[in-house]
Amino acid sequence: MNKTVTDIQRRVLALIWRGANAPTTDADFNELAQATFAFQFTRNAVYRAYCERLKLTPSTTSHWKEIPAVPTSAFKDFTITCFPVAEAGAEFHTSGTTADKTGKHLLKTSELYDAAIRPNFAAHLLPELGRSPQQVCRDSHNDNERLPMLILTPSPEEAPHSSLSHMIGVVMKEFGATDSGFYVERGALCVERLVHALREAEQARQPVFLLGTAFAFVHFFDHCKQHDLKFKMAGGSRVMETGGFKGRIREMAKPDLYVLFERWLGVPSARVVNEYGMTELSTQFYDQTLREDCQTDRKLAPPWSRVLIIDPNTGNEAKEGKHGLIRVFDLANLWSAMCVQTEDIGVAYDNGFEILGRTAGAEVRGCSLNAESIPIR
Amino acid sequence: MSATVEQIKEAIQHTRETRKRVLHRSTDEIIGALAQTARNWIEPASPWRRRAVEQAPASTGFSTQMINEAVTLTFEALTEDAFETLLRREVGDRRQFYGPDLIAHFLAGNVPPPSINSICFGLLLKSANIVKLSAHDPVFPALFVESLREVDAELADCVAVLDWRREETELARAALADADAVIAYGDDDTITELRRLARTDATFLGYGHKLGLALVGREAMTPRALPALAEAATFDASVYDQQGCLSPHAFYVEEGGELSPCEFAAALAGAMAAYQARVPRGQLTVEEAARIAKLRGAYEFRAAADKSVALWAGPASWLVIYEEDPMFTVSCLNRVVFVKPIKHLESAPQFIRPFASNLSTVGITPMNPALSGVNERIETFATELTKLGVNRVCPIGRMQRPPLWWYHDGRPNLAELVR
Repeated sequence: MNKTVTDIQRRVLALIWRGANAPTTDADFNELAQATFAFQFTRNAVYRAYCERLKLTPSTTSHWKEIPAVPTSAFKDFTITCFPVAEAGAEFHTSGTTADKTGKHLLKTSELYDAAIRPNFAAHLLPELGRSPQQVCRDSHNDNERLPMLILTPSPEEAPHSSLSHMIGVVMKEFGATDSGFYVERGALCVERLVHALREAEQARQPVFLLGTAFAFVHFFDHCKQHDLKFKMAGGSRVMETGGFKGRIREMAKPDLYVLFERWLGVPSARVVNEYGMTELSTQFYDQTLREDCQTDRKLAPPWSRVLIIDPNTGNEAKEGKHGLIRVFDLANLWSAMCVQTEDIGVAYDNGFEILGRTAGAEVRGCSLNAESIPIR
Repeated sequence: MSATVEQIKEAIQHTRETRKRVLHRSTDEIIGALAQTARNWIEPASPWRRRAVEQAPASTGFSTQMINEAVTLTFEALTEDAFETLLRREVGDRRQFYGPDLIAHFLAGNVPPPSINSICFGLLLKSANIVKLSAHDPVFPALFVESLREVDAELADCVAVLDWRREETELARAALADADAVIAYGDDDTITELRRLARTDATFLGYGHKLGLALVGREAMTPRALPALAEAATFDASVYDQQGCLSPHAFYVEEGGELSPCEFAAALAGAMAAYQARVPRGQLTVEEAARIAKLRGAYEFRAAADKSVALWAGPASWLVIYEEDPMFTVSCLNRVVFVKPIKHLESAPQFIRPFASNLSTVGITPMNPALSGVNERIETFATELTKLGVNRVCPIGRMQRPPLWWYHDGRPNLAELVR
C-alpha cells in the first residue's frame, strides 16, 4: 500500500471514529475528497478514461462537486476497483431484481466498510446510547441494555455477497443482545420461529429491534393478517426497514407500510426508520426519526459523505426542493469509487434529503413500449 | 371536468337520436364533410391549427412546433381519396352497410392521429360515438368535433366527447352498457380492464403498446444519399418525441456500404440537432429525464473505455447511441435512438424475432422505387419481415405517415365493425 493511500485511509477512519454527530466543514471534506479522487484517478484506468472524456481530472477540478460520478451501471459493465482484483477481501453483489447483469462491489478489506457502519447506525437507531462515539462500542455498551435483534434477512454466512446481510451482521455483533438472530433461511422467512420470538418478548415486556427488508415485513404482515396475529411489543422496540420492493410482488407506499407496523406489532411509525443503502456504497443513510423523536422521511449524510441532487436535464446540481437524481460522495468507498451516481430520485432541503423512488417503473406517457415494460429476455 | 353517469346517458341518447337521421345520408356526403374539415385544419393560417398550437402543449407536453407538425401529419391523411380507398378495401363495393349503433372510443392521447381517425371511422359507419378523452390530450378530439360542427352540425352531433378519470369505473360502465362496439387504445392494463367491463356481445378492438425499428441497406450508405436519409430517419424518430407506436427505437445499419454504420450515426446526430432547433422536444417529467440521464450515464461511461460504443447528445434534447452489440435495445423514448451495425441485412430477423409481436412498423431504406428503383434484395427481405409478424414495412421517412387504410396492429379498421 503506498503512503498516500495509507494516509487517506487513516484520515477517513479518524473522521468516521469522530462519529455521525461531528460535522465536517466543506474545506475538510473537500481536501479528503480531492485526495481520494487523485488516488482513484491514478489507480482505476476505466474511471480515468471516463474523467478524461469529460475533461474533469484532478488537475482541472478544485471542488468535490465537480468530481465525476461513476454510474451504478458501471459496476455491472466493469470492475470498479483501485487495487488488483486478486487482492479483494470481500465482494458484494447487487441483488439483480431485473434480468440484466449483476453489479459487483469489490473491497480490498472490510476495515473502512465496517468502520463506517457502526457510528452512523448507532446515532440513528440507538440514539439513547449517547452522543459520544466512545460510548458506542462494545465494551462500554452495557449488555443488559442490548436489544434482541430479530433480523428478517439471510445471515452473512448464508448470503456472503449481500451487503445488507453483511451490514446487519456487523451491527448485530456490535449492538445486539445474545439472543439476536436471522429469520430468513434458504430464501424463506421463518414465520413460526419469528412469531414465537415476538410472543416471548411481548410477554416478558422485552423491547425488540426488528431489522429487515420492507418486502420481508410485508410478507410477515400478510401472514399476521391471515392468521389474525397481533402483537403489542414493549415500548423501546424499534424497526429498521430498507427498500427492496423493486421488481417484487407488490409495491407499497411508505406511509401504508408504516401503518402496518403499528397495526400488527404495536410499533408506532415514530419508532420505524428507513435505511437507504446500496451495494455500490460503503455508507448508509437513515431517516432522522429516532434522533428527532418524530417520524420523518428526511435523511442526513454522515460527515464522511455528501449527497447531491442532480437535475437530470442539465446534469448540474438541482435547485433546493427540486426533484432529481441522487449522487453520493462516500469517502469510505476509497478502494472503489468515491462518487457514485445512483438511479434513485430524491430531493434536497437545507437540512437533509429525501428519497422519492427509483427511476425504473415510473409512468411513461404514450403507447410506445418502453424499456421497463417490454416482455422479452 | 369529470362527466357524470347522467351526462353519459344523455349523450348516448342524443347521439343515437341524431344517428337515425344520419343513417339516411349518403356515404359520399359524409366523406366530403370529413375531408373538408381536415382541409380546414391544414391551411397554415387555420384557426383550428392555431387553437391546437395554443392549447395542446400544456396537456401533451409537446412543444408548440411539435403540435404544429402533429396537425399536418394528422389531417393531411384525411382526404376523400383516402376515405374512399379505406371503404373500398374494407367494405367493398357494397352501397348498403351498417355499422354499430353505438361505438365507445377510449383514447390514449399520446399522439393525435389514432384518436381523430377513430372518430372518423365511427362517422364513416354512421354510428353514434361516445368518446372518452385521455388526460394527455383532451384538446385534439374536442377541437376536431368542434371544427366538424362548423362544416356539418348533424354529423358532429353523432359524437359526444366526454372526460372522466380512469379509476371511475362506474362511468366507463355507463358508457359501455349500451356500446355495440368498443375501440380502445392504451396500455395492456387499460385494455384488459375495458374488455372486462364491455358487454360480452360487443365487438372489441383493443390497440396496445407497440414499437418500431428501422433497417438501412448498404446500397443506401453513400455520401450522396446519407444527408436525406439521416433527415428522414430523424423525422421518424423525433416526431411526437417518440411517444407513438410507429416510432423507431433502433436503426440497424448494414456494413459493406460506401459509408460505415458509425458514419450513419454521426449523420443522424447532426440531423437530430437540426430538427431539435426547428421542432424542440417537449418538457419532460423528472422521471422521464432521469431515465434518459441514467441511460446516457451508462453509455458515456462505457464509451470512455469501450470502442464498440459511441454516443452523441444534444443538450437536454436528443441522444444517439452507437453500439456494436446487435441485440435489440428498447429506447427510453423522447428522442433516444440506438444505431447498431449488422453484417448482412438478412441476419436482422434473428435479433428482431424475440419481439416481432411487439412491432408495429419497420422502416427500410432503400425502398422507394421512385428514387432508387426496385431493389429486389430489399423487396425479398421486406417480405421475410412480414412473415415474422411485422404488419407494416415502409420506407424510412414514411414511418409516421401510415395510410388511413393501414391495418393498425394488423387488423382492419372497419371490416370487423360492419354488418
